[in-house]
Amino acid sequence: MSASLEKGVRVLKEVIDAPIASYFSSCVHCGLCAEACLFYTETGDPKYTPIHKLEPMRRLYEQEYTVLGRLKKLIGLSKAVTDAELAEWQELVYNSCTLCGRCSVVCPVGNDIVYMVRKFREGMSASGNAPDGIKGAANRTITIGSPMGVKLPAVKAQMRHVEEDYGLPIPMDVEGAEYLVMLSSMEIMNFPEYLGAIAKIMHQAGKTWTLCSTAFEATNAGMQIGNSDLARVIVSRIVDAAEKLKVKTVISPECGHAYTALRWEGANLMGRSFGFKVRHIIEVLGEFQEQGLLKTEGFETDRLTFHDPCQLARRGGVIKQQRNLMNMVSKNFVEMPDAGFMNWCCGGGGGASAIEEGEELRLEAFKKKKSQLDTVKPDRLVTACANCRIVMEEGLEHYQMNLPVVGLTEMIADHIPNPVVAKPEGN
Amino acid sequence: MATTNDKEFRTKLATLSVSQQRQVAALFVQRVFALSNDARIKAALDMAKRADISDAELAVVSQAANTARVESYAQCGRDSDWTTQAGLFVAKAAVSCVGPEVEGENLAWDAAMQVRVARTCMAASGDVTDHKEAEAQYAILDNFLNT
Repeated sequence: MSASLEKGVRVLKEVIDAPIASYFSSCVHCGLCAEACLFYTETGDPKYTPIHKLEPMRRLYEQEYTVLGRLKKLIGLSKAVTDAELAEWQELVYNSCTLCGRCSVVCPVGNDIVYMVRKFREGMSASGNAPDGIKGAANRTITIGSPMGVKLPAVKAQMRHVEEDYGLPIPMDVEGAEYLVMLSSMEIMNFPEYLGAIAKIMHQAGKTWTLCSTAFEATNAGMQIGNSDLARVIVSRIVDAAEKLKVKTVISPECGHAYTALRWEGANLMGRSFGFKVRHIIEVLGEFQEQGLLKTEGFETDRLTFHDPCQLARRGGVIKQQRNLMNMVSKNFVEMPDAGFMNWCCGGGGGASAIEEGEELRLEAFKKKKSQLDTVKPDRLVTACANCRIVMEEGLEHYQMNLPVVGLTEMIADHIPNPVVAKPEGN
Repeated sequence: MATTNDKEFRTKLATLSVSQQRQVAALFVQRVFALSNDARIKAALDMAKRADISDAELAVVSQAANTARVESYAQCGRDSDWTTQAGLFVAKAAVSCVGPEVEGENLAWDAAMQVRVARTCMAASGDVTDHKEAEAQYAILDNFLNT
């Protein structure tokens, strides 16, 4: 057994906890999870059945933690997990799983298969079997602080541009601000207008907010690769910043896993509760709408539909807010089949879009989104995740569907009248 | 009178016809084309400069420029390269040049802003800090209006 395999197996044994044991022993092999997974439905290949993606971990569980399994191992009737097997499983655990959670919610015995995949990724990562693309992102997170290597000068350059474009200040390191706004690299690099939208919305709502120079990046590569220690480090950077600046709420950007990592996993990773709230930007917009702080003008008249990011809707339970916001600015909002809690993934979440060799499979899986869109034939597609947005744009381009994709936060900001303010100093 | 700020710039752009907006927008993008060097972008700019472009021609170059834009996105988790990233915003600006007219929006303004982000990318890469792109755009517009 190689040193890396030994390490991976040791980590896997450690992560097989009571829930994992109960999930494996409860599985009734019904196959319902297969029908819930877009990688299975769009390829028809049974190897993409979610519970099958966990087979090496299941065998290890059986061999180590069940009487029958131990006996079988003793008399040589069970197969040990090998390096080659884990290497083969990389495609199943990373490329073809976006941690979308659809399999978990259809399981009749309540197995949280996403939880199991994430634990399996811990062993895969420890044994060196994570894909190079995600490894690179994790390494840059450790060394630079951002999975895409975005540094503070780049953020400041984008801030200057947005201040000039919108005529509103982008505050940084303001102690006592109500909101600490986090960004994802994807927004900084591809959609800097998101920052302008935030400035416009906060200005109208009369809320104080700030970015933080030591923690502007929310994307959690540790969650994606399966490394709890790294996930904890990333979360702790944000927690330290929020506590240093004494903010009341940290706003997660339009990035699915950033939200899950901070809102739902953060306190567990840190082993303590936070002295501030964590909210997704869509939740904050929903609160502003309820409090009458969002005053939009005019309506979109073309046919719009909304793609629910899995981490926001299914894993996070945020479903009503985005619909209320859509109806606030749209006269012709239509729902795709399965929209909301059971929406189908874009195919690129959970780190999958960082895996170059997974592109062909991703495009194959996108046929599910295509069929949803073909049913309602929208003029534009709205979403609230920068990664979903790019993955879908690529899919639409591949299938030659001329359908613009827009971010909900920016769409809301577009309907807020331009503020009349003096230009910030220094511009 | 020479344009000196964005308010005047925007007001003057609003007086242009859509065809004129395309032409002046193409001139803005031309200044940063070297950050992309994509043949599809060049084709879009060449078309946008023409006053007699047909809807069918626009549709073809718009589709190609849009493909170039989608191909230019930085993927989640991939290493950033701000020089390459500038190409995305050049492509976005080119798409504005040849894109359909949208009520309430000025495509030349949109293109001008994307061009400035492309320059910002160069600043983010540490190459250059001050391009005075806005001033250059004011001059291009004034020149366009005076000829």
